[in-house]
Amino acid sequence: MTTSNTDLSTPDATASLPESISEPAPTAAPPVFELRDLEVYYGSFRAVREVNMQVMAHEITAFIGPSGCGKTTVLRSLNRMNDVVAGARVGGKVLYHGVDLYAPDVSVTEVRHRIGMVFQRPNPFPKSIYDNVAFGPRVNGVKKKSDLDEIVESSLRGAALWDEVKDRLKSSALGMSGGQQQRLCIARAIAVEPEVILMDEPCSALDPIATARIEDLMQEIKGRFTIIIVTHNMQQAARVSDRTAFFTTEVNPESDRRTGVLVEYAATSKIFSAPGDERTEQYVTGRFG
Amino acid sequence: MDDLRRGFHTDLGEAKNQLVRLAAQVTETIPRATAVLLDGDLEGADYLIRADDEVDNRTLELEEHCYRILALQAPVATDLRQVVALLRMSAEVERSADLLCNICKAARRIYGHDLDPKLRGIIGRMGEQAAQLYDAAITSFVENDAAKAAALDDMDSFLDGLQKQFVQAIFESHAAGRIDLQVAVQLAVVARFYERIGDHAVNIAERVQFIITGENTV
Repeated sequence: MTTSNTDLSTPDATASLPESISEPAPTAAPPVFELRDLEVYYGSFRAVREVNMQVMAHEITAFIGPSGCGKTTVLRSLNRMNDVVAGARVGGKVLYHGVDLYAPDVSVTEVRHRIGMVFQRPNPFPKSIYDNVAFGPRVNGVKKKSDLDEIVESSLRGAALWDEVKDRLKSSALGMSGGQQQRLCIARAIAVEPEVILMDEPCSALDPIATARIEDLMQEIKGRFTIIIVTHNMQQAARVSDRTAFFTTEVNPESDRRTGVLVEYAATSKIFSAPGDERTEQYVTGRFG
Repeated sequence: MDDLRRGFHTDLGEAKNQLVRLAAQVTETIPRATAVLLDGDLEGADYLIRADDEVDNRTLELEEHCYRILALQAPVATDLRQVVALLRMSAEVERSADLLCNICKAARRIYGHDLDPKLRGIIGRMGEQAAQLYDAAITSFVENDAAKAAALDDMDSFLDGLQKQFVQAIFESHAAGRIDLQVAVQLAVVARFYERIGDHAVNIAERVQFIITGENTV
């Protein structure tokens, strides 16, 4: 399976992008994602509205905001994870290298192959460490043992886990510490060579040392991947990200229903030193949230 | 245990390097400003005065860098002391560079007036002593050497002594009619500039001690 172009369509589909993404643009690099008036509904409830933003390649983009502001909802819409939620639907556009991810001919499997995800709680399969990492490549048709060995080793090295587990690859992944399990999940995500890794509060179940390791790891791998992270920990967003998007909730006075909105999206140094919006200032200084 | 938060520590290291480069530039400028004064080198004076803009810009860059580290990395313990100390030390270095500019401006004002050998000798020694103080301060910072930093106070007393000697020599020179009052006043001010540069070096060394021991001294 190749990742060198952006053809996300199923084999019989007609829509595809002609250009290879490995071709550098003549001027500034085009965004990986472009969200245009994105809205996500759960049934009749509009969870988030009018999100407009661009996510740039090889950067770490952080989504922050109080509970219920829609940050996880937006993240999940980037690899169609909301498809599995009954009644969820998306308005507006999510363009991935210019391709509408919600176009009818787009293969969801292909989307999730290109755009991997790491969840809040480490969720290794009840299999060996080796089999966890080899799972994705096997699904993608890699069969040769030597090829799988190579992928497993390079993925575990990429997730800064190889030295800790190389002597017990056949042991159960469930016997690892929480921090190791989460790095294993990152190794599993990168084993299929995605372009983007979405991280949904990847450190909230981890202690500070394990958290620091994941943060270091993010810095190390961002040259190879584009990372988007949802975090409740504002300091984490400050420490690791290049750009930060601050979401909050707005209450409709008539219906009393809450909807998430994107308040400000800017360089992380700006968000945490001189934010442009009063609500961002209030949130990052701990005056509301 | 391996180094966690490597990116942050590298970033902090770079801020340290920025200060060292800035201080090194000031240390190198001290003998040049002294030469400008003793040789009546107007071109050199002009050059050094203009070079001060670069020091100002680099100080601002360092300040913004420290500000960014504070805003994004929430440093604690030694790291926190380091950043706070860098902010304060950068102000000392910037002020020292201004004083060197002032020495060059004094050189313009006394241009054409001959100084007697005694005055010239003491100016030379003040310049050397100020440069030594600066060098020692910054070495103590680079080497994290609290003992070396603590030694600066005594080194500075020597510079203070030279300043007093110099003022005495100005009186004598003026009384003997070798320099007029205007030049005498300019020279007294120049001695004060060297003495202040020494004080800034001592302040830097105190910040170094603060980084190492955590105790604030003034």
